[in-house]
Amino acid sequence: MNHPHEKDINELGGVLLEAGVNLLSSGASCARIRLTMKRLAASFKYTAHISIAPKSVSLTLNNEADALVFNGMRSITAQGVNFKTISGISRLSWDVLEKQYSIQQVRDELDRLMALPHYPRLVILFFVSLAGSGFCFSFGGKLPEMVIAFGATCCGLFVRQEAVKHRFNPFICVYIGSLVASLFAGAFIKAGLNINFEHAFATSVLFLIPGVPLINCFTDLIDGNTLNGIVRGINAVMFALAIALGLLTTMFIYNLK
Amino acid sequence: MDWITILAKAFWCGWGAVGFGILFNVPLRTLFAIWICGALGGFLKFNLLLLGAGVVSASFAGALAIGISSIPTAHFRHAPPMVFAIPSVIPLIPGVFAYRTMLGLIKLTGAIGPDYQAIISDTVNNGAKTLFVIMSLAMGVAVPMHLMRKESVKNIRLR
Repeated sequence: MNHPHEKDINELGGVLLEAGVNLLSSGASCARIRLTMKRLAASFKYTAHISIAPKSVSLTLNNEADALVFNGMRSITAQGVNFKTISGISRLSWDVLEKQYSIQQVRDELDRLMALPHYPRLVILFFVSLAGSGFCFSFGGKLPEMVIAFGATCCGLFVRQEAVKHRFNPFICVYIGSLVASLFAGAFIKAGLNINFEHAFATSVLFLIPGVPLINCFTDLIDGNTLNGIVRGINAVMFALAIALGLLTTMFIYNLK
Repeated sequence: MDWITILAKAFWCGWGAVGFGILFNVPLRTLFAIWICGALGGFLKFNLLLLGAGVVSASFAGALAIGISSIPTAHFRHAPPMVFAIPSVIPLIPGVFAYRTMLGLIKLTGAIGPDYQAIISDTVNNGAKTLFVIMSLAMGVAVPMHLMRKESVKNIRLR
């Protein structure tokens, strides 16, 4: 790898940018994106200079003589939080260093990682609903409230997944999810069941909380990636507002106080 | 709240963490570790609440425990610490306080009655709790990594 051809450098730059944008859209913090891309570049003996915008990653590669050899930028494709990608790419960056992969091998491994499947939809629905009833219990709910939280989470998540499939705006997807989940929980309260209203209602929408942007916001701010941190924070607040709006709509429909 | 309740709450916090892990599509090999981290955080939080700590400091302690334990776990399970830490702290997010804050804010848009002062105090109290708990959760997870002052968990010597 001492004197790679120009084609190889372009290929390497493309692979690095692809790894970067995939990390960004899967919910990695800026420090991690930078670290992984630099580690990958260093194992091919290049120095990487990276700039991360909220929706794109730019990269220049310098060779050992500090001469510019590659310059490129790529913007993210829409994709949800995916920790399998983050963990896979991070592992790949170590394997490249230890096992001396060629550029083509890195490309193949990246393609394989990106094609890895999600958990089956029923599994996701079941476990997230279980998490919903878990939240309900930890906030002091009893069995009836937990069952309602389970059902509400299941319905809300299902509708939200459908909305995501139809490529609605992400905030609208969250709003619809929140609306459906709270409509489900509210129906039992409206039917006059003797349950703790607050526990069932407040925990039915918790599966929508924007945990990843919220925590990445702070991680980025601490690292000094202030702009990205602020962008993620505002995103998280917008999602929270969408959840609140869904709850409000339900309360208006059922005339709950 | 007695010991059985605390253990049950910790158990369910673990399931909450696993649910979010599956939603975030974590690798299968990390799920058990995520359950442990989530249960540990919940156990510490509810224990401290029982001992009379405030909700903010109890949540911070829980998140800090999760943040610290995610570092050796990352080492042994070969995934970045955030993969363990983010799903695990989500059960500690104060959903009920956030909900009460929202309700209070809505009530504040209504007419000024005799209980308006009480609503203001309640809303500000709940809002401050929500804000500070969420901040302390994020800090508790982010700070352990930075205290290590290493570029990557792979460089941290555990022995």
